[in-house]
Amino acid sequence: MARRGRGGRWRRTAEVWCLLAPSLAIFLLYRILPLLWNGVLSFEDWSPLRPAHWIGLENYDEMLFDDGVFWQALWNTLIFMASAPIGIVIALALALLVNARIRGRDIYRTIIFLSYPLMTVAVAIIWRWMFDERVGLINYVARSLDLVDRPIQFLNSFNWALPSVIAANTWQMLGFYMIILLTGLQSIPGELHEAAAIDGATGSRRFWSITLPLLRPTLFLCFVIGMLNSFTSFDLVYVMTGGGPGRATELLITYIYKLGFSQTRFDYAAAVTVFFFVLLISVTWVANRLSGRDAGAMRLD
Amino acid sequence: MHRYPRWPIHLALLAASFAMLVPFYWVLKTSVSGENIFAYPPSVMPKAPHLFYYVDVWYYIPFARYFLNSVVVSAIAVAANVVLNAMAGYALTRHFAGKGVVLMLFLSCMMVPFQATIIPAYLITGKLGLLDSYLGLALPQCSTIVCIFVFKASFEAVPQSLIDAACIDGLSEWGIIWRMMIPLAKAAVATNVILSFIWSWNNFLWPLIVTRSADMQTLPLGLARFLSYQEDTTGALYAFCIMVLAPGILLFLLAQKEFIEGLTSGAIKA
Repeated sequence: MARRGRGGRWRRTAEVWCLLAPSLAIFLLYRILPLLWNGVLSFEDWSPLRPAHWIGLENYDEMLFDDGVFWQALWNTLIFMASAPIGIVIALALALLVNARIRGRDIYRTIIFLSYPLMTVAVAIIWRWMFDERVGLINYVARSLDLVDRPIQFLNSFNWALPSVIAANTWQMLGFYMIILLTGLQSIPGELHEAAAIDGATGSRRFWSITLPLLRPTLFLCFVIGMLNSFTSFDLVYVMTGGGPGRATELLITYIYKLGFSQTRFDYAAAVTVFFFVLLISVTWVANRLSGRDAGAMRLD
Repeated sequence: MHRYPRWPIHLALLAASFAMLVPFYWVLKTSVSGENIFAYPPSVMPKAPHLFYYVDVWYYIPFARYFLNSVVVSAIAVAANVVLNAMAGYALTRHFAGKGVVLMLFLSCMMVPFQATIIPAYLITGKLGLLDSYLGLALPQCSTIVCIFVFKASFEAVPQSLIDAACIDGLSEWGIIWRMMIPLAKAAVATNVILSFIWSWNNFLWPLIVTRSADMQTLPLGLARFLSYQEDTTGALYAFCIMVLAPGILLFLLAQKEFIEGLTSGAIKA
């Protein structure tokens, strides 16, 4: 390549940019530009039928001080997020079991992972049916065992709706957490366990002193994934409960969708989106700091 | 190391597998049940099983149309992902002016979840005149940063001497990518195909926003629409649900190694 002179060098640079151009265009159009537009829109009073004018912080003012639904949605999103560790702990137990040298471990792994790549809308319909008041399996089992006097209206109850949606979400995410934790477990050198065993460390001692500390980055990665998932679980909530009853399962993302596309309040929805995005970035940042390693960040080279 | 008994492990894993499979069974049972689906107590085994509900689905909704729409949108997304990501991934293995800026841009784009852009993304698609079209449905997912980095990592493993040899043989950049790099990066291609397929096939929020006419709806939208029209009063809903899930499950079982590797590498890198 040294044969080419200055002209060749320029040509090569141009070629590289041409190769990058289509992807860059898509990201500018659907990531960078929306982010900027969203920021601008949140300071404006605008709808498709009215010309825009600048209103400063009025949208934010309404959001923070005059909108109970926003606080309810934020609170629900945080509860959803706080539930991620439950799934991660169950997944860790399953990963330890599947990691044991037993027959049929691949079959167990496949079955547990199966629900993750499936269409969430279909998963939501499956769980609506499981939670059904009359003939859902859960109520049927509870009634057969005399655990309840009357069937529980899981998805129509203010107390039960959010936990039910979270249970369905955990069910779907479990296999994914398990596979990631399994990868983490398998990267722990076997010699460490053997050496500890020779020194007389018991199984539980080895788990707390070797496995868990070495698994910390993987656990944080799972938490980051679970947290992102709690912000983006639109499909499940929309199909299972539509945010109801009342606003009992309203998440920030479903609220943004409703504001924008049912009430045509794009400007106000943009303000909520800005808050949503800033919250997401800050939680990711904190999780990364806590993990002590850049879980989720790319190694550049 | 084999002193402890195995059966408790099997017992726990069997219980977990049971919990993962029972919801599918409950829906499958309902979809072939011959009795009133709301009869109490619900039967555990389907009574008088039949496939009428599966026939009903074809009368209630244009299943073939939804399926076709999903296939077209996914095909566009998968093809675009492989081509565009391979190009961008290859470009990132080269040294060129402005590489640092591009990397920074990509990394910061990774921090922006699609859900945080829906309002302007809808307005932009409207300005482009792509609302309610296949291209509009597929465009935001036509290139994915995670997948670009999957290609980049895989291309970097190709020895420089091979690339130099290809240059001397007079292969263009384009030729190097398609004749040399892609055949050497089969695993990266598989990851790209699987990730982009899952993302576009299962996507619900974006089609919900950009489609207007019933003719452009994809399968997830069709399911949600069926639910809102018929409520859950008919077993056909569950037959539809099974029809939507079956291809996904089949595909997963056929290529599960690639699925699991692709999804985990996507997550670990993302």
